[in-house]
Amino acid sequence: MTESGLTVPRLLRGVLRRLLGAFAVLLGAATVAFTALQLIPGDPVTVMLGPGTAATPEVKAQIRAQYGLDQPIAEQYLHYLGRLLTGDLGESYQLQRPVADLIGDQLRPTVQLALAALVLAVAMALVAAVATAGRRPALRAASSLAELLAASSPSYWIGILLLTAFSFQLRIFPVAGDQGLPALVLPAATLALPLAGVLAQVLREGLETALGQPFTLTARSRGLGRGAVLLRHALRHAAASAVTLAGWLSGTLLGGAVLVETVFGRPGIGALSLQGTTNKDMPLVIGVVLLSALVFVVISTVVDLLYLVIDPRLRST
Amino acid sequence: MSRTGARPLALLAALTSGALLVSGCGSNGAAPAQGGAAAPVQGGSLTYATDVEPISFDIHVSQQDITGAIQRNVFDSLVHQDASGEFQPWLATSWEIAPDLKSYTFHLRDGVKFTDGTPFDAQAVKVNFDRIVAKETKSQYAASLLGPYTGTEVIDPHTVKVRFSEPFAPFLQAASTAYLGFYSPRTIQDNGSKLGAGGPADVGTGPFVFTSYTKGQSVVLSRNPDYNWAPGGAAHQGPAYLDKLTIRFLTEDSVRLGALNSGQVQVADPIPPTDVKTVQADSRLKVLSTDAPGANYALVLNTTKAPLDDPQVRKAVQRGIDLDTDVKSVYFGVFKRAWSPVSPTTPYYDKALENSWPYDPAVANKTLDDAGWTARDSAGYRTKDGHRLTLEWPLPPAEYVREQRDTLGQAIQADLKKVGIEVTRPRQDIGTYIANVYGGKEHIADYSWARFDPDVLRLYFNSSSQPAKGGQNATFYQDAQLDQWTDAGKATFDKTVRQDVYTKTQQRAIDLGLIVPLYVRTSVVGYSTQVHGLSADPNTWLSFHDAWIGK
Repeated sequence: MTESGLTVPRLLRGVLRRLLGAFAVLLGAATVAFTALQLIPGDPVTVMLGPGTAATPEVKAQIRAQYGLDQPIAEQYLHYLGRLLTGDLGESYQLQRPVADLIGDQLRPTVQLALAALVLAVAMALVAAVATAGRRPALRAASSLAELLAASSPSYWIGILLLTAFSFQLRIFPVAGDQGLPALVLPAATLALPLAGVLAQVLREGLETALGQPFTLTARSRGLGRGAVLLRHALRHAAASAVTLAGWLSGTLLGGAVLVETVFGRPGIGALSLQGTTNKDMPLVIGVVLLSALVFVVISTVVDLLYLVIDPRLRST
Repeated sequence: MSRTGARPLALLAALTSGALLVSGCGSNGAAPAQGGAAAPVQGGSLTYATDVEPISFDIHVSQQDITGAIQRNVFDSLVHQDASGEFQPWLATSWEIAPDLKSYTFHLRDGVKFTDGTPFDAQAVKVNFDRIVAKETKSQYAASLLGPYTGTEVIDPHTVKVRFSEPFAPFLQAASTAYLGFYSPRTIQDNGSKLGAGGPADVGTGPFVFTSYTKGQSVVLSRNPDYNWAPGGAAHQGPAYLDKLTIRFLTEDSVRLGALNSGQVQVADPIPPTDVKTVQADSRLKVLSTDAPGANYALVLNTTKAPLDDPQVRKAVQRGIDLDTDVKSVYFGVFKRAWSPVSPTTPYYDKALENSWPYDPAVANKTLDDAGWTARDSAGYRTKDGHRLTLEWPLPPAEYVREQRDTLGQAIQADLKKVGIEVTRPRQDIGTYIANVYGGKEHIADYSWARFDPDVLRLYFNSSSQPAKGGQNATFYQDAQLDQWTDAGKATFDKTVRQDVYTKTQQRAIDLGLIVPLYVRTSVVGYSTQVHGLSADPNTWLSFHDAWIGK
């Protein structure tokens, strides 16, 4: 178990490879988004304005020219890639503001929500898994059922339920909005519960497998208590699969945010992407797609690095 | 106008915007929402929850109701249209209309100031109207309200003359809407391209100042302490009572209702028909119902597409739908079934049409027999020359369907099946939907168009009002009389003439089977009993100038 595998050139090569991969993923996402938007039937400006518009053909032509929609598609695509390379995401058709600014403005509440949800989910999953792994079947079954319920309930429904109980009836938390910590609790819990349900199940499964391994017996025979074995030894083994899953799931937090932000009337990327999609606001939709691709790339990188921390075996060779 | 208001291609007017975003009291515009002799209380703040968030806050650009409804509190207009349809002084104290209806002279009120200190004067009117029609503004709605506008002449600091290239009677009504409201010329110059983003740059003369906007969450307005130019007919002059007005965007019906029930918001709009009884039953809450003015939600029959080119088939559709039952069961008695193309609150509504074409399957069956649709196929539908009697009525994507219109559509399908007409409802994406419906390729379109003026009948039935050109006539019917009447109504202020032509238009549209009016859209607002003095303008938008918070 030497550290020699992590030499500098090797690390650099790894990082470079990952960067190239990330670039390819982003380019792919941008291209898919662009193509998908081209495939929407109907004139983009008409679709964008919706059927209830008083816009005259002249106004439509003006909009078309302003956004270069009168250019050939290949030219539009190249322009668009060119602008992306300079970090220019374009301007929202509907909101008439730069997409980068819009996303920048809405990023904080969503990141806050997602991080809070992630921390909450991991904490809940840890508590549930550690407390019930290898315990009496009745306790396990009860916990398992609760997890299954949490994991399979739509977040929309959980949100309404939590709101009804804690905001409308008990009036502990405000209904919604980005108004400090109290207003973050219910949306974060809504987003965290399904995540926690899945995580807890995987974690307990991993813990129980680990508890059945010979090293556990060894550790116990050295006089360690159950808790110490669980936390110091078994958890590390169980964590690998849970971290993979958590990484993947946190990528889906952005999708979950669409529902949660709508239900709770919170600002954020979710609400923004919903608005972009509903209004057929192409630059905005593409901006959000790129952001999600970026989030996935970053998370998968972080997860890979976490493996190295969790599992020393991966560090060699 | 727009969205709820006049929406030139109301296909979506009908479909998209949330049910009447704001609403008023009873069916009268400026009546106080709650009586009571208590004296108004100065101060306090009110939170108002609504379901749609503006895309653009720029009144000169946006076509959305919600934009007009929110900005109505920030921007004033030249004139005010009261509940009876009469025009009252506002920023203009008086006006003269040239006999040829090609120019309007307004005498402006003295001493009006924008909230950035700029005086409101003739130049400000000119700057604003010129901005609306400028190409760079890309106005989706306001420019259409100015119609054949050719320019504004500043006669002296308090007199302007607005000119048109042809007679333009709808101008006064248009000038009363929020979409022809006035920005401070200074903010137009400094922030012209940013007015759509909301926030302090949106400087008007209204009773409230636009303090802040948090996208996805809320708008905060605060009191304009200098306000002293409320329109004629307002319950009080001087500044608004409320210090602060917060508009929260709560899209989910259940969340909006929960917020109202638990006292976290004081006004919630709209209340879905299913929940109206619950709100009414709560002693701490009240309900305001207002019938929307303008064109009712209706089936618009494409008279150029067989078999609807046969008036008898159109009549059979009209008489073969059990609207009383369908509307009552889908909307719990909150919405009323419609009889005329326009709603009862629209000026010159023809009451004589009520009960003139009741549900009668026997009549529908006989009409279809007479039209030659006598045979039946194995599924029970009528056929003629081997063709089934099928009508296609496309369904747009779910986000454009509101007020459970798809459910009502199912009831209509079931009714028409009983008389042997098959109605198919293919789900179409919005691009295809627009192309097909605007292109006259479908049998049936469904929409409404709220506007406080019977001129809406011209947009529905005049042959020049083609959907492909921003018009509204998806019946595609060409009729010399309908054209003549609706053109005449548009070109005059003579009440006798307007009464006459609009009555005849409503009757003829029904007689020819161009349209099947379905229900009168009713906006229902729930509010706390602490809220007093809530009122609405004829577009059913809530006005907060007279509102105050009591006990």
